[in-house]
Amino acid sequence: MISADQATMAIHNFVRVANIITNLDMILNQAKNLSLTAKNARVVALRAGDVAFGFKPITNFIDEFSTQTIKTTAEISQLSNQLFSLALAVVRCADLQFQLTKANDIANHACISQLQQQSYADLKQKTRALEQAIFSLESYFEDIQKQMRSAEYIAVTSRVEASNAGEFSHSLESVSDFITDSARKIKAAVNENLQEICALRGGLR
Amino acid sequence: MKATELYHGESHQWIVLGRDPEKPEKIIDTNQYLIKSAEEAIILDPGGIELFSPMLAGILHHVTIDHITTLFASHQDPDIISSLGLWDKTVPNAKLYAPWLWEGFIRHFGMENIQYMPIKDEGGEIRLGHATLKFIPAHYLHSSGNFNVYDPQAKILMSGDIGAALEHGDVPLYVDNFAEHIKYMEYFHKRWMPSNRAKNNWVARVKELEIDMMAPQHGRILKGEMVAEFLEWFAKLDVGIA
Repeated sequence: MISADQATMAIHNFVRVANIITNLDMILNQAKNLSLTAKNARVVALRAGDVAFGFKPITNFIDEFSTQTIKTTAEISQLSNQLFSLALAVVRCADLQFQLTKANDIANHACISQLQQQSYADLKQKTRALEQAIFSLESYFEDIQKQMRSAEYIAVTSRVEASNAGEFSHSLESVSDFITDSARKIKAAVNENLQEICALRGGLR
Repeated sequence: MKATELYHGESHQWIVLGRDPEKPEKIIDTNQYLIKSAEEAIILDPGGIELFSPMLAGILHHVTIDHITTLFASHQDPDIISSLGLWDKTVPNAKLYAPWLWEGFIRHFGMENIQYMPIKDEGGEIRLGHATLKFIPAHYLHSSGNFNVYDPQAKILMSGDIGAALEHGDVPLYVDNFAEHIKYMEYFHKRWMPSNRAKNNWVARVKELEIDMMAPQHGRILKGEMVAEFLEWFAKLDVGIA
């Protein structure tokens, strides 16, 4: 049976899920901007012609990983809705457990003990489902981490190529800067979410 | 939580639960009503989250959990039904009768299992074992979608917020002096009830009912002649005043 502290912990977990979802919005927006930047960069590279020859395949890479990040984020978003429902279910089960413990203190009734057992089994089942969802979520974020590592590598390469692009250097360098900045922001948000996931895991044990 | 039997008939009983000594001080005191027959039981205005555990403990002295088949919410306020999310897991097969107007709002309290049975504006009735309970429209008194429960056999009208009084301390269950009791009811009715037209319409309809006991959701219960005294006083009261 759970204590008031454990019921409070369930609420904290709910807040952690909310934080993860807030960060997801940021990741999705950055990934969409990256995709748009890739499209603009491709136009600039085409206009630049041979001087930006090395930049063209880079724009394809940027587009590819930003599209992949958008896809992963959309999948995470779906999972997050499920995560929210599960976190809410855990809060409700924990609240019921807490209330039943209070009821049992008032009247030690066999029926209340039975309800406590049922509700505890329900709480355990919901907690397991939440753990499972968190596990899936973690692997998605690890995928994004890998994509952002590639993004940072591409940003370095693109800067070298941009410096050889003559009068288009400035435009293409700003693309490199944007990729670096976005990748850094996405990585920070993903790191924060991985920390929240780690804390969530601890809270569910 | 104190439990007192109000009526004991052949087919069913009325029990009022309230005046919980452990209730947090700043929460308004509420009366919850349990009607039980041999086969089933209904809880009228089950109360807020804070009262769930004493209510459950109190109710199980009278019925088993499987016995509770029905809940009724006179309107959408938190002191009426914010415990719904907890009842939803405790009596998942129960039905909740409540104004159709508030379905989308009441579901915010958490309702995955219990079935919502919307009551039409005109009211309706349900059977509880061999007893019949009538839902009497009491719209705008105070909520815009609001019902009382009338039991023609027990001659009890569960009047929700109508007849409610704001008193502190360990208050007796019944009103013993109506004139003295007015001071506890007046502000509540003037401030919470928004419409003289709705009030007069309700008084005219309720006067036609045979009522031995008028049981509000807050404060003391009115018995016998005091019911008529209340109706007379309420008819004259100018409401909707801040």
